[in-house]
Amino acid sequence: MKYLKISENKGHFLKDKNQPENWTEIDQIEKDDLLKLLDIASNEVFEFDLYDEDIIGNKAHQIIYKHLSEKFTTFIANKDRFKDEADNIYKDAIEKYQ
Amino acid sequence: MKKIDLHIHTVPSISDANFFFSLNSLKEYVVRLNIDCIAITNHNLFDKTQFEEICQELPAKVFPGIEIDLESGHILLISENEDLEDFNTKCKLVSSLITKKDDWITYEQLIEIFPLLDKYLLIPHYDKKPNIKEETLTKLGKNIVAGEVTSLRKFKACIAEKDKLTPVIFSDCRFIEGMTDFPTRQTYIDAEDSTLVAIKGCLFDKAKVFLSKEEGNELFQATDEGVMMSTGLNVIIGGRSTGKTHTLDKISRSFENIKYLKQFALLQNDHEKFKELVTTRHSLLSENYLKELKDVVYEINEIDIRSNNIEVEKYIESLKKYASESDKLDSFSKCKLYNESNFEIDDLDNIKKLIKATELLLDNKEYRDVIDKHVPLTSLKSLIIELIKTHNEIYQKNLMKNWTNDLLNRIKEDLRFRSSTTAIDDVDFSKIMLEKIKVSKFRSIVKTLQKEQIIDSKEIRGFKVVAKTKKYTGASQLKAKSKRQLTFSEAFNNYEDPYKFLIALKNVGIEETDFYKYIVDIEYKTLNKHGFEVSGGERSEFNLLHEISDALKHDILLIDEPESSFDNIFLKNEVNELIKEISKEIPVIVVTHNSTIGASIKPDYLLYTQKSINEDEVIYKIYYGHPTSKILKNSKDEEIMNLDILFDCLEAGKEAYYERKERTYEILKN
Repeated sequence: MKYLKISENKGHFLKDKNQPENWTEIDQIEKDDLLKLLDIASNEVFEFDLYDEDIIGNKAHQIIYKHLSEKFTTFIANKDRFKDEADNIYKDAIEKYQ
Repeated sequence: MKKIDLHIHTVPSISDANFFFSLNSLKEYVVRLNIDCIAITNHNLFDKTQFEEICQELPAKVFPGIEIDLESGHILLISENEDLEDFNTKCKLVSSLITKKDDWITYEQLIEIFPLLDKYLLIPHYDKKPNIKEETLTKLGKNIVAGEVTSLRKFKACIAEKDKLTPVIFSDCRFIEGMTDFPTRQTYIDAEDSTLVAIKGCLFDKAKVFLSKEEGNELFQATDEGVMMSTGLNVIIGGRSTGKTHTLDKISRSFENIKYLKQFALLQNDHEKFKELVTTRHSLLSENYLKELKDVVYEINEIDIRSNNIEVEKYIESLKKYASESDKLDSFSKCKLYNESNFEIDDLDNIKKLIKATELLLDNKEYRDVIDKHVPLTSLKSLIIELIKTHNEIYQKNLMKNWTNDLLNRIKEDLRFRSSTTAIDDVDFSKIMLEKIKVSKFRSIVKTLQKEQIIDSKEIRGFKVVAKTKKYTGASQLKAKSKRQLTFSEAFNNYEDPYKFLIALKNVGIEETDFYKYIVDIEYKTLNKHGFEVSGGERSEFNLLHEISDALKHDILLIDEPESSFDNIFLKNEVNELIKEISKEIPVIVVTHNSTIGASIKPDYLLYTQKSINEDEVIYKIYYGHPTSKILKNSKDEEIMNLDILFDCLEAGKEAYYERKERTYEILKN
């Protein structure tokens, strides 16, 4: 599922995945939105449009979109390692006290 | 019959603590204990002058000897009392080879110094530390017939088992000025005369070695005053202040590794104190159970979710601000590096684990066949090579990334210093997410842990100790746990949210390493055989059972007036049986006033203490013998009627006995 997209010369993000039609402009993104997106990126398939300076006209949108897409690219690239690590967190304790 | 003690120290050496030898004490020991032969066996040395002086002064046969550190064990080498010059020369060679505490000589060095080993009596530390190793014993072969043991129990075991050496017990004592008690650890041998040849001859035959002069291995000398006791179950009876406890104290001083349950020690009136005692006894169980939680808490304690959220906020706010200022960028903030984020450093933990696991597969010999069947050695080898290669590549990349990040940070800092544009605060998404997951897992671990469940249940002779996890129910419980005057009420308000609770604990003033103890309570309940919590009397009984259940780790069990802690404990079958069982293995000595003991516990040996005053002088006497014999004797062969004692101690005198018999028992009968 796609969570960041470029359309009409602007960057957008999906605030609520239950309303996939309802895109919010990227300059409206807030801390809680970002944490939510991060949660999704670590647990689900997280797709997004790659950054393309030419199709985002708005300068502010360019900057925010570029940074966010870079961050998510790195995060997703390391997802396997992250998953391994997350799955192993307190494994001994969880198994023992179950 | 000869009484021998062939292990005596008279000169301090590097192998033991300093002491000042007293010839008077040694002399008194030999006389008081009626010893026929002794050997002087100092660590790796022989003092000829002192030895000759001892020989002159002592009314017993004295053998020259030496206790040698041989291949990291100890062995006594004893010579006949002749040709002392030759023995002295040889011992000096031993001394010259052992100059430091941990030095020892080899078997080869030993036979080089003492080529005719069969001329001597060799007694290794056998069931005694530091014992001579099995392979050294094999090398010594037929030169070894007897081995030194430390306890009566080991002595009897060696006698009973065919393959074991003939056991001997010696004092291993250092004699100093002013000794009040002397050891009673000696061995009797059925020898005609006091020569080394005669002693060696007896040691060849287990049937000629005993713990007592006349009663074989059923009795042993318990005190240096000559009191004999059974290696089984002994009961000491006698009026108040007749020297019963004194006798137990004396025994506890003359033997090592003793379990001594003193008067009132088992009394358990207070419910809370008993609970605390049981909890302390099982603290290891609690600690083991909570080990994993402790590690988790330790890690969670370092996580600050609030500051992580602030970091995210700062990032997004600075990003947006920077974007809004995009038309006002100066020459510094226009630089690409101005807001460049750092490279993430790859974690090498997993690949390291993989390499270790492959190494284990490669090195394991025990299950080689199974491993080879499924993974050929060549594959394993190429796997490990590739893993190491990958590891090294990542490692190298990390080095480069670190170097770049470092440079990046310095450039960014300089650019930001000069620019008026907002800088974007960097944030590490992986770290933030991982920490969030950690906290969430921590919460669920604690929630599971706090559910009431039995985590351990132990049966102890009809009782059951049950360990149960449960939530703390109030701040006062936490305070009691801390055993300090601290306020837990604010922290406890957050108890339902483990993470918040943990943060609140930081303000209480307890050690961070102890935080895990406040998360879940482990309660121990002692239940009786009906499954109910124990009563006051049962608590004492349970305590006795607990205390004596580990008695077999000791060499003698002493119990002083068990009735001081409870009523008629020996009417309890479990206790009776357990004490009987223990007395089959080690000597058990019970001091009592309890009138039912004579009938119910059926001791192997009965001792009676008596105090008399003769012309202002207080005289204590101990009579002893088999419970069924009509007469008990003391060490001076004075006699007393067994029946009189029983009437006296147990039935409040003869008259009371007959009165009771006639009135009560007969009435009951009719």
